[in-house]
Amino acid sequence: MSKITTSQTIGPFSHEAWQWLADAGLPGKLKTAEHSIQLSGCIYDGDGNPINDAQVEAWTPEGAGLETEQLIPGLRRMPSGEGGEFSMRVPAQQAGRGEPLAYVTVFARGLVKHQFTAVFLEDDAGLAQSTILNQVPEERRALLIARRSGDGAYRWDIRMQGENETPFFDYV
Amino acid sequence: MKFDPVEPGVWPELVYPAYKSTVKRGPLQPNLRIAAPIPTSRNIQAGPHILLPNDTDLTLHGKGGEPLGEKIVVTGRVTDEDGKPVRNSLVEVWQANSAGRYWHSRDQHAAPLDPNFYGLGKMLTDDDGRYRFISIKPGPYPWGNHDKAWRPAHIHFSLFGNVYAQRLVTQMYFPNDPLFDYDPIFQSVPDEAARQRLISKFSLEHTVGSEMLGYEFDIVLRGRDATPMGL
Repeated sequence: MSKITTSQTIGPFSHEAWQWLADAGLPGKLKTAEHSIQLSGCIYDGDGNPINDAQVEAWTPEGAGLETEQLIPGLRRMPSGEGGEFSMRVPAQQAGRGEPLAYVTVFARGLVKHQFTAVFLEDDAGLAQSTILNQVPEERRALLIARRSGDGAYRWDIRMQGENETPFFDYV
Repeated sequence: MKFDPVEPGVWPELVYPAYKSTVKRGPLQPNLRIAAPIPTSRNIQAGPHILLPNDTDLTLHGKGGEPLGEKIVVTGRVTDEDGKPVRNSLVEVWQANSAGRYWHSRDQHAAPLDPNFYGLGKMLTDDDGRYRFISIKPGPYPWGNHDKAWRPAHIHFSLFGNVYAQRLVTQMYFPNDPLFDYDPIFQSVPDEAARQRLISKFSLEHTVGSEMLGYEFDIVLRGRDATPMGL
């Protein structure tokens, strides 16, 4: 019987404490790779209402080496806005291997344990070989794939519940 | 590292109707068990350069002097499931002031702000996995979830561990709080022993003379079979 420390919600008042890391990813402060991608989306609850007090973290392990000047290389954090929206610029990993653009962690008031997920790019030629996607039931894989919305820009929404509930992970 | 399934009842229930905002926010589908080498073997690199001079003394953030309240020192060890120290790992903390009010625009509690206390800190664990910070004992506060809903006093912790999959956000409570039995956030954890592990212990050893009272809160992150650093 392991004695791990259990989880509790971040509650509604994380912003001031978490802002130092969010700030480091904002335009003007961000010192990232030349080849980077704008990842935008919204986070919704089970009624389709936006969650306006979530925190989204995106980790790009390979990107860390491409932005060594960054405060914490390869990591972004963004509080969701009033419409549940988030947007962050992340370094682009080498395409074609089915690795996620980013490993994503989701936190919110009313979410008693953080949720892990990952986001992939629709035009990554390696999606069919992705070791992570291949462990997700086929009918749910599309929910992890960001759609191209412009030059270097992709859109991906997070849904906590419902027909299109985002697949969340427990790593082995 | 290896991440065994967590025993039933140890994690809180993602949908726990007594805590109302879980009802539409907790995922309904079970987490997918995913084997992925990177999240279980690598992590962010957070070095001392991210720390500000007073990040571990939350009583020094004001411009006008000392904050009001009971001055405390909180310390503990962060270990993995093998009992090995989680070293050089980022820990963030945040909390209400002694009156139970957060330094946050959305906090509508009528208790006063303290101009000398913001309740925000961060630190790295040392080679023994230990963290330590100085603060003020936070007050309980009402939160509107139900009639007479008051949160037991608590400090929020955010931990990054040594590999990505160890990430944890939790809350540390204080001994003998009469509000535990009435708090659906604390009670959302079904397992009694897991709830008890969220409660810090008063520590005479860590109490500092006539200055501040000591509280000890050890944290065990998931994961076993860590690769020794540098291999």
